[in-house]
Amino acid sequence: MVNDLKIAGTRKSLGKSLLYTLPMFLITFLFITGGRPNFSDPSSAIAVLTAFLLVNVLYFLMHFTGKTDRYRAVLFIIFALSLSYTLIHNMLEVRNSMSFSQADILECKIPFCHLVIPMMILPAVFTKSIIFPGSILNGFANISTMIVLWLVATLVLGRGFCSWGCFYGGWDDGFSRFGKKPLIKRIDGLWKWMPFAVLMMVMLTAALSMMPTYCSWICPFKAVTEFEQVTSVESATKAGIFLSLFGGLVIALPIMTKKRTQCSFLCPLGAINTLSNKITPFMIKIDKNACNECFKCVETCPLYALTRDDIKEGKVSMFCSKCGKCVDACSKNAIHYGIKGVPAGTLKNFSRNLFLFVSFLFMAIFSAGSIIASFQGLLKLIF
Amino acid sequence: MTDSLILGLSSGSACLATCGMVMFPYLMAGSAGVRRIAIDLSLFLLTRFVVYFFLATIAWYFGQALFSNPVVRNIVPGILYIVFAIMLVRYSISKNSNRDCPVKIVKTVNNHKLLPILLGLVNSLGFCPALFLILTKGAAEKTLVHSYIAFLAFFIGSSIWFIPLPLAGKIRKKEVLTTIGILATGLAGVIFMIKGLTNLIGGLING
Amino acid sequence: MKKIKIIAGISWAFFGLILIIILFPGLNSYSVSVSKLPFMKLNPRYSGGEIAKRIVTDRCTLDIRKPVFNGFIKERNNGFVQLDWRGNISELINDSIDYDQDGIKDFNISVDRKNSKTVLNPINSKVKDVIISTRTSYGWAVRVGIKKQL
Repeated sequence: MVNDLKIAGTRKSLGKSLLYTLPMFLITFLFITGGRPNFSDPSSAIAVLTAFLLVNVLYFLMHFTGKTDRYRAVLFIIFALSLSYTLIHNMLEVRNSMSFSQADILECKIPFCHLVIPMMILPAVFTKSIIFPGSILNGFANISTMIVLWLVATLVLGRGFCSWGCFYGGWDDGFSRFGKKPLIKRIDGLWKWMPFAVLMMVMLTAALSMMPTYCSWICPFKAVTEFEQVTSVESATKAGIFLSLFGGLVIALPIMTKKRTQCSFLCPLGAINTLSNKITPFMIKIDKNACNECFKCVETCPLYALTRDDIKEGKVSMFCSKCGKCVDACSKNAIHYGIKGVPAGTLKNFSRNLFLFVSFLFMAIFSAGSIIASFQGLLKLIF
Repeated sequence: MTDSLILGLSSGSACLATCGMVMFPYLMAGSAGVRRIAIDLSLFLLTRFVVYFFLATIAWYFGQALFSNPVVRNIVPGILYIVFAIMLVRYSISKNSNRDCPVKIVKTVNNHKLLPILLGLVNSLGFCPALFLILTKGAAEKTLVHSYIAFLAFFIGSSIWFIPLPLAGKIRKKEVLTTIGILATGLAGVIFMIKGLTNLIGGLING
Repeated sequence: MKKIKIIAGISWAFFGLILIIILFPGLNSYSVSVSKLPFMKLNPRYSGGEIAKRIVTDRCTLDIRKPVFNGFIKERNNGFVQLDWRGNISELINDSIDYDQDGIKDFNISVDRKNSKTVLNPINSKVKDVIISTRTSYGWAVRVGIKKQL
């Protein structure tokens, strides 16, 4: 009965769902195929078509079923896997190794990722330069392009970037979905402030050492992308840290807690995105009139963004990444996507439709390149 | 120098979080004038500076006497780094760390003129894991000047946090800053733990 | 006031929608604009520094870059100088380098490219050690550690 009430609130008829999917269909067609699909290479054509269909089917299902997180997570996880696959495949092809060499550093050929951004800030202000061995404008994952992508996404989505744009988040999101019940149910709320402590430390250490310290020493995702060659005690220690943090925060703890522990307790960029949640137009709102305080949303939130007190007060904390898991879990349709300035409980469907279009469009186009490349790679492996 | 500054910066925030509120309750209340706050704060920081100067000297001479062998020079500080770093991490995790503030000893002193000096003394000699770490670093330095630089960086890093103390009463969300400060101290502990491990392994390999 | 807030919120949301739609088609031009910002240049610690002198021979080119001592607030005492050999480089490189351009050679460097062995003979006491010596896509590069002051 209650589920019917909820579903009636957000799900749409087949015709309406198709109508809502049409703009996404047209825009993704333009961006993914460049407006001119090329069928001369069959494997490329199949990969492009599969990626195109995948994003549009998922978007259609979001409208048709009224569920958000379930279908977002599918694309988000595929994005994370495909990006790592593409990067590793590329490196193995070019360098025969997952590690980068001194020559790559010297020639500034290291791909830039958004996690470097917090460490760039102080040196950029004080030395007017970038402390990263990457390319400013040319080549794959150059610094300027990544900054533009992150800046716009963060401005529009706030911490939504962590659930709709970050190509690493899919890893711990994926592992947090293993198993039915969490083995660890309670983790002290103070730990969610850890990313701010990490942010402070990496900003300071990076500025003082003029080195992207998070990338050099901490980043767990080095385990699935690229890292320094192990040639000394120091580089071996680094590799050990990368692997331990990946094993602990990205695999083991998410499985045990069913939460995104790396994003919740470590990521320094997540801390900046958390602050940007204050300016973004989209947010999660709680309709206190509809809420029966069952606290299912608190239990399901993967980022410890909701507490019982928050629900009672009818507010969502700034840690929210707008993944939609709480929205899907709410049987009363009390917790919903909203727009800044619009009172809770009003314009629920309008807000959801607008947010889904914006956030999904960003993820679909941002992820398309690596998804296509990995599909192509898989096709080559199979045939 | 970098790691000493970071240690000072991170432990300074926790030190302020745990001890600062005990040290200057009258500043928090906002009843003291700006001149008095400035004098008290200067006396407090000056006392800390003098104490650290002496500690840097003592630590280095001890280091010279104890770590004359180059292998021991790597291994012993390595072990000490790890031990004190674990203590620092444990301290940051423990939610009851407020109870250990050594400054509470002088809380009952009523002489306001002597209070900042006494507080500076107790605060800088309050043997917290961060101080143990910087003592170890001072002892392991090659020259006395390097030991002074390490302590100076530690002093600067930890003192920065005390400067806005007169405004503490007006800061909103103090608990959040306290939590972040304490967590950052734990991270500084982790950094020194890694440094200790690298020293230890390097020392063993070279030995 | 309530209505103004609603209108402002919805307008901001639609502006966000437009931003995302125009983001990808204009990504290249936005990136070019960002790359022109004053801080968008690589720190010499990563780029290797500006080329101070180029020595051209029949077979190859040697670029001696400016010494790099860049730090966060002020220059550091420990830095490096980068040397790049380009073109048709012989298997055994042997060069004398005057990195500070004072007319006096500061060190001799020899690189056995076959065995990746690099030997540094300091003449100037500010010259310390070899930090990096590696094959690159353009030839060979070496970073020699130097001190600003003794």
